[in-house]
Amino acid sequence: MLKLIKLEWKKNQIGKYCIYVLIAAGLLCVFIYSLAFLGIANDPDGKLDAAEGMEGISSSIEMFTSITFLIFTSVMLANFMIRAYKNKIMNVMFSYPIKRQKILASQMLAVWIFNVAALVLTKLCLYLCIFEGARHMTSSFVIDFHMGSGMFYVQLILKSVVTVTMGFISLFIGLTLKSSKAAVISSFLLIFLTQANIGDFSMRENGVVPAVIMAVSLGFAVMSVGGVQTKDLTY
Amino acid sequence: MSCILQTNQVTKIIEGREVVNNIDMHVRKGEIYGFLGPNGAGKTTVMKMITNLWKPTSGTIELFGEILTPNSYEVLKRMGSIIEFPTFYEHLSGEENLKLHCEYMGYHNQGSVGETLDLLHLREAGKKPVGKYSLGMKQRLGIARAILTKPELLILDEPTNGLDPAGMKQIRELFQMLCREYGITILISSHILSQVEDIADTIGVIHHGTMRQEISMKEIEERNTEYIQLSVLNTKKAVYVLSNYLKLKNFKIVDEQNIRIYDSEAETMKISKAMGDNEVEMTAIGRKSESLEEYFLKLTEEEKVC
Repeated sequence: MLKLIKLEWKKNQIGKYCIYVLIAAGLLCVFIYSLAFLGIANDPDGKLDAAEGMEGISSSIEMFTSITFLIFTSVMLANFMIRAYKNKIMNVMFSYPIKRQKILASQMLAVWIFNVAALVLTKLCLYLCIFEGARHMTSSFVIDFHMGSGMFYVQLILKSVVTVTMGFISLFIGLTLKSSKAAVISSFLLIFLTQANIGDFSMRENGVVPAVIMAVSLGFAVMSVGGVQTKDLTY
Repeated sequence: MSCILQTNQVTKIIEGREVVNNIDMHVRKGEIYGFLGPNGAGKTTVMKMITNLWKPTSGTIELFGEILTPNSYEVLKRMGSIIEFPTFYEHLSGEENLKLHCEYMGYHNQGSVGETLDLLHLREAGKKPVGKYSLGMKQRLGIARAILTKPELLILDEPTNGLDPAGMKQIRELFQMLCREYGITILISSHILSQVEDIADTIGVIHHGTMRQEISMKEIEERNTEYIQLSVLNTKKAVYVLSNYLKLKNFKIVDEQNIRIYDSEAETMKISKAMGDNEVEMTAIGRKSESLEEYFLKLTEEEKVC
């Protein structure tokens, strides 16, 4: 499987995506730094203008990185898989003496591993930036994370895993509708669903919701791969 | 000779429409099998089922003596194929695409990529991204990929599409060489008969999803019916002369100007003289034999009459 994943990275030019991640991480860094220390989210009177429950800087970091990487995951899944179906590269892939589920799983894992790693590293960069900045400057947001705690890292990784796994929902929609655009658009809808507030209720803050989302996403991942053995390749 | 590929009453129904119906095909080891049929006859559908991309609605496919099932993966190792048109990673070079193919096929033979590129005259182009290839070059690269791992069976769906006449000839010679020197069995589909005529050992003619005939080229040559082709300005008059003066019965009006005389006793000299005596203006007369093309047309035209 590892060999198949590496081949996926190789043929899809993973270096290109590394550059995109670096650019995105750089922009996010500038943006979050500006939010915290340059007062771009402040009212003219200098007070922070943040929604209720968003006064901590970690909320902003989590939200903006999640949005960025959920879209990025969907774009990559669309490029690795849906485009391969559409331009008939899958005809070639399915003529190899390898289980079809294994081929599809390797493509999904190639994207998943890359994005989880990229998201974890990006978040770490952002937290480090804020941590360093807070030593010299006053933050408009509350510095509500503690980088010395082990739980901080566990939460960071778990949240990253849930966010990237959600990309499989978009993949399933894209595969069903045979459209890369549908996959990307559905990732935007997922963001609204998971990041929005409905009255006092926010999926973001709810503890059960990530577990449910994770289970649903994995269900969609299985459905994307299921039946591929016996189905005709009709893209 | 044993069959390397055999289909037994294979039928494919798509959205209620019978695309192929009860196809029986027998491809013997070491031969070139020409799979002929007009566009839309069902050639690609059959080939997709043989390569396991599509599943038959009913019937079975036997490959290398084993029934093909959705889980048949090992047989794919022994096959090379081009279905419809070859597709590649366009941003990668031809060479990189072939190396990837080797990795996926589990074929590790250093130098095979270079040798195959040489064989298809793609050595120089091999370094360029496939996106910059012409249609003909892509077709060549597709053939290179299909033969790269020296498979026992090649399934080629219209492999000379997009090639110029010289390229077509070269590819035909390559197939003959692969068959002769490496013992590779080749199933090649085409709607252009002349491409298959010179190289095939057996042909199967498919039309409207049914196998019209499966016959060896040797048998076709033996069956070849000779006839006299008579071209005249007035076929009615000519027919009158043929039946009343020359007492010939076995002839056919091909079109408004041509008549084919199958009567074995007919002689061109006598016919010319009779036409002249009866003032039927002739434009040409000559003895001909039925080519594969005519044989093919005969098999596929019957349906039109119905």
